[in-house]
This record gives sequence, C-alpha cells and structure tokens, in this order.
Amino acid sequence: MVLVVLSAGWLLVAGVLSLLAAIKLHAPGMLADYAWLTYGRLQPAAWNAFVFGFASLAGLAIALWMTARLGGTRLVGTGTIILGALVWNVGLKLGIFGLLAGESTGIEGLEIPRFASPILLLGYLCMAAWVPITFGRRRPGEVYISQWYLLGAVFSFPWFFMAGHVMTVFLPLRGVLQIAAQAWFLQNLLVLWFGFLGLAVIFYLLPKLTGVAVPSRNLALFGFWTLAVFGGFGGLTRYSGGPFPAWMLSLAVVANVLTVFPVYAVGQNLLPGLRNQGSALKASVPLRFAAFAFLAYLVAGGLGALNSLASVRYTTQFTLVTVGLDQLTLMGFFGMAALGALYFVVPRLLGRDWPRPAFANLHFLLAAAAVAVIAVAFLGGGQAQGAALNDPELPFINVVKRYLPFASSGTLAQLLFLAGSGVFALNLLLALVACCRAAWVPAAKALVTPLSAEVKA
Amino acid sequence: MRHGPFIFLGILCAVLASWLGAVVAPQLQFGDQALLKLDDLGIEYPLARNGEAKQGAEIYRAEGCNYCHTQQVRSRGEGADIARGWGKRRTVSRDYLRDLPPMLGQMRFGPDLANLGERQTNATRLLMKLYNARIEMPGSTMPRFPYLFEARKLRYGQAPSTNALPLPAIFAPPAGTEIVPTTAALQLVAYLQSLKSETLFYEVFPPQPPKKTNQVAVAVGGTNAIPTTNALPATNTAPATNTPPATNAPATNASASP
Repeated sequence: MVLVVLSAGWLLVAGVLSLLAAIKLHAPGMLADYAWLTYGRLQPAAWNAFVFGFASLAGLAIALWMTARLGGTRLVGTGTIILGALVWNVGLKLGIFGLLAGESTGIEGLEIPRFASPILLLGYLCMAAWVPITFGRRRPGEVYISQWYLLGAVFSFPWFFMAGHVMTVFLPLRGVLQIAAQAWFLQNLLVLWFGFLGLAVIFYLLPKLTGVAVPSRNLALFGFWTLAVFGGFGGLTRYSGGPFPAWMLSLAVVANVLTVFPVYAVGQNLLPGLRNQGSALKASVPLRFAAFAFLAYLVAGGLGALNSLASVRYTTQFTLVTVGLDQLTLMGFFGMAALGALYFVVPRLLGRDWPRPAFANLHFLLAAAAVAVIAVAFLGGGQAQGAALNDPELPFINVVKRYLPFASSGTLAQLLFLAGSGVFALNLLLALVACCRAAWVPAAKALVTPLSAEVKA
Repeated sequence: MRHGPFIFLGILCAVLASWLGAVVAPQLQFGDQALLKLDDLGIEYPLARNGEAKQGAEIYRAEGCNYCHTQQVRSRGEGADIARGWGKRRTVSRDYLRDLPPMLGQMRFGPDLANLGERQTNATRLLMKLYNARIEMPGSTMPRFPYLFEARKLRYGQAPSTNALPLPAIFAPPAGTEIVPTTAALQLVAYLQSLKSETLFYEVFPPQPPKKTNQVAVAVGGTNAIPTTNALPATNTAPATNTPPATNAPATNASASP
C-alpha cells in the first residue's frame, strides 16, 4: 500500500514536471530566469519521475500483489519491502533534485546522477527480492502466464540497470560505445521491464474480468521467449544513420522487426477474448484501462517495428515520432495497464470499494484522451517535421513553425493526463481516509470512553 | 518443472545475449580505436579541447542542450543533413573519441550542432543567441539563458564594458545597465565553437566525383583501394603533409566504416 501511495505521489510530480516542460517547448520566455526550470533540465526530470517514480513503483506494487494473489499465498518480507520503497524514494528524490541542479549525467534515459543510482538499485533489491521468494511459496499447480512475465521483469531489471549505469557513468566506455550502451539500456527498460510488467497485468486482468480464458498457453510462452530474446537487441534503431558500424544498425533493425512475433502472439491470444464484451467494458473500469493498454501495445509494437526500417527513418529520425512512440509505450501501454491494475488492486487491499466510482470513469476518459492526443499529434507532427527537415531549401525557422502546433498539443495532453492523475489521487486519498477512519474511530472511541468495568467501579 | 530457476536462467541468458551482441561485440571491434595522427607534429584527430571548452561541455550537459540539438550528421542517402550545410560529411565513431559523455541527441527541435564551430565563428552572435534567441530569429523556441549573464549597473558617466552585449533597443536593459556574459556563458560558447567534425580521413572519404582526365594518371588501379599517394585531401585543420593514414590507424577500423 505504501508503494501505491508513493507511486501516486510521483505520478502527480511527473505530471507537473511534464506539463512545465511541454509549455516551455512553445513558450521559451516563461520562467526563463530560473536555471532549475530550463527545458533541458525539466524534460529529463519529468521522464525520470514518470519512469522511476510512478511507473516502476506502481509496477513493483502490482508485481508483489499479483505474485501473492496468483500463488495463493501471503506476501513475505513486508517490512523490508516498505524499507526498500523508502530507500528507493530517497534515491529518486536525490536524483531528480540533482538533475534539476545540473548534475545530470547527460545520457538520455540514464540521467540519474551517480550518487543516486546505487541507492535506487538497493531499494529495488529490497523490494523485488520478495517476488521470487513469494513465488517459491506458491500453491502447487500450474503457473500462470502473468507469473512468467512478472518473474521475467523482476529478473531482468537489476541486470540492465546496473550494466547500463556502469558502462556509461561509473566506468564509461569510449566515445559512441556509451551511446550503444544507452540505447541497449533504453530498449531493455521499455521492452523487457515495462513490456513484461504491462503484459503481466494485461494477461491477468483481461481474462479475469471478461471471464474468457487465454486460448493458447504455448502461444503465450512463445511470445514471452521471443520478446525476451529479440527485445534487447533493437535499441540502436534510435540512432539510425548514426556514427556506428553498419552491422550494428542492421542488427537492431532485424531484431526490431522480429519483435512483431511477440506482438502478434499477444494479439492473437487476447483479441478473441475482447469480442462482444461491450457490457463488461462498460461495467468495469480496470477492464477498460487494460483493454486500452492492450490496444496501445499492439499499435506501439507494430509502429515500432515499422519505424525501425531505414526507409521510414529517413523521414521520422530526430522528430516527434520518436517521442510519440516512447510515450505511447510508456503512457498508453504501461501507464494505462498499471492504472487499471491499481483500480483493481486497491479495493482488494483496503477491503472497501472506491469512494467515488464516477472519478474513476472520469480518469479513464482524461487519460485515454491524453494518450490519443499525444499519439495522433506526435506521430503525425513527426511526419511533418521530418518532411520539413528533409527539404534543404526550407529555412530552419520554418521547420520550427511546421512542427510547433503539433508539439504544443503535448501541453494539452499533459494537462489532460495530469487532471486525470489528480482525480485518481483524490479518489485514493478519500479511500485511505475512509479506511483509516474505520480503523481508528473505534480505537479512538475506546480511548475516550471509559471501560465498562471502570464505570461500574 | 521448477519455474523459478528456469525463468531466472532464461532471462539472464536473454539479457546477456543482447548485451554481448549490442554492446560487447562493438566494444571488441572498436573499443580501442586510436586517435588519428594528422601530422608529424603530434596533432591528433579529434582535436583536444582547451580547458575553457571542456568546462563548456559540462554546461552543455547540465543545461540539457542535447534534448533539442543533435550532434550527428547522416550521410546523403539518409536525410538532408549535408544538403542543409550541417556538415561536409557524415559523422563516424572516431569523431566522438574525446567526448565524455558523447551527446548525440535524438531530437531536432533545433538545428544540428556537430559542425557549429565551422559555420559560426562569431562568439558575440552565439552569446546573443544564448541570451535571447529571438533577437536574431523572431519566433525561435530556444530557451533563454539569462542566468548565464550578469546585469551590471553602470555608474553615472561610466563607459560600458568592452564585452557587454550589443543588444538592440527593444531587448536592451534599462538605461544605465549593461548585460555582460558570465564565465559560464563564455565557456559554453568556447565549447560550441570547438564543435568541428569535418576533417576527412579514409573512413569518411567522400564519394569522388568522376575524375577529370588530367587526374586519372594518379589514381591507377582499383578505385576502392585506400588512396595512399594523396591521402587526407584538403583537411581543414591539418597542414598538407601527405601522411598516409593507413600506417597510423589500427586494422580494426577498416570494418567500422559503413
């Protein structure tokens, strides 16, 4: 529960930071006097707050809860987990303040300064170690697909997190090899860590809430292993045409195109279950979030593979398309899946329903609209930007004019998403207050009312 | 089947495989790439930056310039970078050997800076751009960096400093005040002016236009061979000493070229 609250708090922080960054993109004069709030510092701070604050903490909370739930056992190590969450939190706060103070490592995605990243890893180990331990105590019986994905995520994170930071910050490789390591890290972060966690949620919530079982276990396992094997190789498509030997770029393209297989496996397995589920979708907020995340996964996966091709990259390289696809994966797929899972998990943890169900509906609408705006504006705007960049006769200021309307709509999207997060946080707060009152009021009454024995005496 | 250890090992192998393929193999291939000796005086490419420019790189990193500006030029078939005048040739791994970290960037909200030092030699214009990019380019979305400058009050009758920014009237501070760049701003500009990657060497030998008849006599035989007689044609930085590059470069680099 501590994890959920912390992640909700970070969700708000990330929302505010992203909104500021989005505004500054089209209004460079705003708050320009503050070094801490320049775009080049806000942008990485927003990304890190969302990735490591909201998404990773929510993902871990869900992983712990689902492992216990699916294994039919109790979660062990709760004390250490709470401690780990606090350690992680301290590390992240240090990291983000460091970033805003200009201590960024300068490597996109790995900006957390060197004094904070080991703290994050320590916090992670304190929390995540209990996933396999709890898994080991499960009820005998078949292991669900979701448990595979959860373990996959939990085991992969420490490797690439550690390796990524060591190779770029602590013992940096030379020259562009650092960039190769960075691309590898980002790919693992998005595909293995968030991909596995998000798929675990989807493979749990969709069958559970629609009542339609996953048709093929083998297909799901095929998807799992193909994603695990091909997923990590594709990072360098971010630097298509970059200063690397051609074989590295080609390898990345091949791997990225091959990730169509896991996307296909996921779609083939879950799409049938969603047919004719209109009434179920209407009734259940978590299901709506999960279904949206599922669709976003298919779209992002398909477009990601397409966008790795050099002929497509000719236009889309260095444009809003890159941001749009990253956001579609991060917000549209993982963010929505995690929020759906939180809407499902929190009532079961607290033992009471959400105090304001209407808020949950509103949140879904706001968040879905935000993702849709980002996806359409950035993917479309990126095309316009790329076409303008590739016209050497067009002065650069005209390129700016072409992409600016699209980039500005990022502000609208961030505003919508932040509003949704605010509604969610308020709902969570009300639930906690109600829960605490239920727990404390009898205790407090017992304190002030004298015991019956004393009254008699 | 015991799932826990099986998945653990499987994921370990998968992460390891991609690490080996995407990071270790390149490291083995060109991790020991050497600086390129340009002449007999010991000048090596990439050129070393002076202390001021090195400090400037730290400011470039801290302010996050790389979130809007790339430092890489793609070859002709992959985009209009060269046609836009952002470089005479594509950038290759050797150009970044002295960068820590290399700030390639993934986004072009602003123009590419890989060769900014080649095309903008006027430091004052760069300073003005940092102070407020809209002075020179109305509608620019580049952030302003007023905190890299100092507003100084002039005493009555005092002449303005020689390094005060020559701001046009609408951007000028109130009378009796002058805007002077701080050390940080000067360092950043020194770094920006040190950004040059147009030196030619055999990895980036530009596609030759059809040879004129009076030059054919020199290039006899296989056209793909590394030219040894007239190596390093027209480098911008090195004096023409006709050093054959093949003798200085490790053999591994030959395969690094695209």
